[in-house]
Amino acid sequence: MSGIWYYIFTLVFFLFDYFILAMGLNIQYGETGVLNFAYIGFVAIGAYVTGAVSLPSSKGTGQHYILGLNLPFPVNLLLGGLASSALAVIVAFIALRRLRTDYLAMVLISLSLVLYDICNNFVPLFNGADGLYNVPEPFAGALKLTTNSFIPFFAAVTGVIALIMWFFMSRIMRSPQGRTFRAIRDDEVVAAALGKDVFRHKLRSMLIGSFYAGIGGGLIIQFSGSFNPTAWLPGETFVVFAVIIVGGVGNNIGLLVGSLLVETLLVHLPAFLPAIPGHPGLIEYIDAALIGILLMVMLWFRPQGAVPERPRLTASFGLESRSATDQNAEFNEAVVETTPAPAVIGASQNGRDLC
Amino acid sequence: MLSEDEIPIPSSPRDTISALSCEGLTRAFQGVRAVNGATFEVPNGQITALIGPNGAGKTTVVNILSGSMTSDAGRVCIGSTDVTNWPSHRIARLGLMRTFQLSRELGGLTVLENLLVAPLHQAGESLRNVFLHPAKVKIQERENAERALGILDIYGLYKLRDLRASDLSGGQKKLLEISRAVMASPTILLLDEPMAGVNPALIDQIGGYILDLKANGVTVLMIEHNLKVVEKICDYVIVLAEGRTLATGRLSELRENKDVVQAYLGEVINAGTVR
Repeated sequence: MSGIWYYIFTLVFFLFDYFILAMGLNIQYGETGVLNFAYIGFVAIGAYVTGAVSLPSSKGTGQHYILGLNLPFPVNLLLGGLASSALAVIVAFIALRRLRTDYLAMVLISLSLVLYDICNNFVPLFNGADGLYNVPEPFAGALKLTTNSFIPFFAAVTGVIALIMWFFMSRIMRSPQGRTFRAIRDDEVVAAALGKDVFRHKLRSMLIGSFYAGIGGGLIIQFSGSFNPTAWLPGETFVVFAVIIVGGVGNNIGLLVGSLLVETLLVHLPAFLPAIPGHPGLIEYIDAALIGILLMVMLWFRPQGAVPERPRLTASFGLESRSATDQNAEFNEAVVETTPAPAVIGASQNGRDLC
Repeated sequence: MLSEDEIPIPSSPRDTISALSCEGLTRAFQGVRAVNGATFEVPNGQITALIGPNGAGKTTVVNILSGSMTSDAGRVCIGSTDVTNWPSHRIARLGLMRTFQLSRELGGLTVLENLLVAPLHQAGESLRNVFLHPAKVKIQERENAERALGILDIYGLYKLRDLRASDLSGGQKKLLEISRAVMASPTILLLDEPMAGVNPALIDQIGGYILDLKANGVTVLMIEHNLKVVEKICDYVIVLAEGRTLATGRLSELRENKDVVQAYLGEVINAGTVR
């Protein structure tokens, strides 16, 4: 495989992987309003656990890590996702029960830093600052894949997984459960007053989103064969936020667009460009600045994102629909009038003179 | 449906079983007692007004009754169930719904979706049902959507059903809040100034809707400053002043009460709000 294809399939892998990560953060932040600034920590736990259960026992490997179960794909990946969800339960009970919005965000940033410090410094857990390496490539032995053929193969596998996860996420978002998430996002006091157990729904959203984060992380470590703390500095969370803000909060197609624009074109494509002579690392700085500028431009001129959230219209319930033009015309009338209707709660015309 | 004249009006809540009651409610904010021992009963199936001067603690009382806020002391009962300091979602599940002083629409949802959030115990709020019993979810969704459209029709919002709730006018948002609460099939409805900031024609409509709710067996407790509205549609009045229950009874009786006139009615009458 020529060099260019290596780059292209690597970019394709990250497009799909960040699409999965964006879906996870979107259900937490875009759908439920939980400002999870610790998201990258959940990605990291997914990656570490997937790696640690994929690797054999640590004895004689020169690495220090827990588990070492030598489990095959996709069991290892599922365990990575579940480990992130388990972390979400702990985090939810610490932070989600009592805190809201900015206070919750601050606590989550702190948790992310604590998690980072533990993984970076406590060597017996996931090999400390060196991280995990030599993680087996899924199916490489069974299918006799070389390093070159593994990359397009695993990019395709990631694409299939992303498609499956997109299907499940779409079902959730279009269900009454998704609507309740959005109600909590818009106003959790109202949602609670309507009988919704806000904590329970937020916990559910955290569990789902964290599972996606864990799967995304697990795919990264299996693709690259290694994972260490430099891969998940707490600031990386904001790249995933940039993906969903640029693409469009609350819309899965938008997340794919955001993943393409931010992660593929701005984060990973420049990494393959030759360094500017005399200025090593300059491209990365320009890259980070470009993401920040894009974020500001989008928030200023198109806060709804490239592909905005679509409201669910009457027609989608299998009931009659009318064109948007008709509705606009009706809306312009803007006169609230009482119309006789089926006896839902008593349909009498009680317009008495009260004034 | 009974006409207004046919519905027996109790002279006091003792004549009937109280749907909602509170005793010795107290709530302080940084040392200032917004509610200071409020005690009253809301008669079942009647429209009760909660009136009083600004700062009397009316909204705080409603917040405590609905579980949006906890009390420092006192007791709240729905029927015979003690619900003191229960979280609002548990209270809502007993059939008590509320609206807010400043309309709180779910702005990112359409008008129809605002109503569809409301029904309790929806099958589609369980992921198990979403993936394993999609047909059950779909059927319930369709039934709920049909019912919601019927309610929107009654409340004059049918034409706006697919618009985002944030795009509605102030009066329309008031109607949306009431219709959303109705969608939840409440047995008790707390309305926090439903007529505030709406035009006179809409006041008539909202008053009519509230009477409809009563005719359908819903107990209503409403905070209201417009005494003409109170006189027309409310069976019973509770007067709060400085966080305490000053008096209870019919408005005609309360007009003769010197304390009430001094604390509230005189002020309102002098300000030319009524009569």
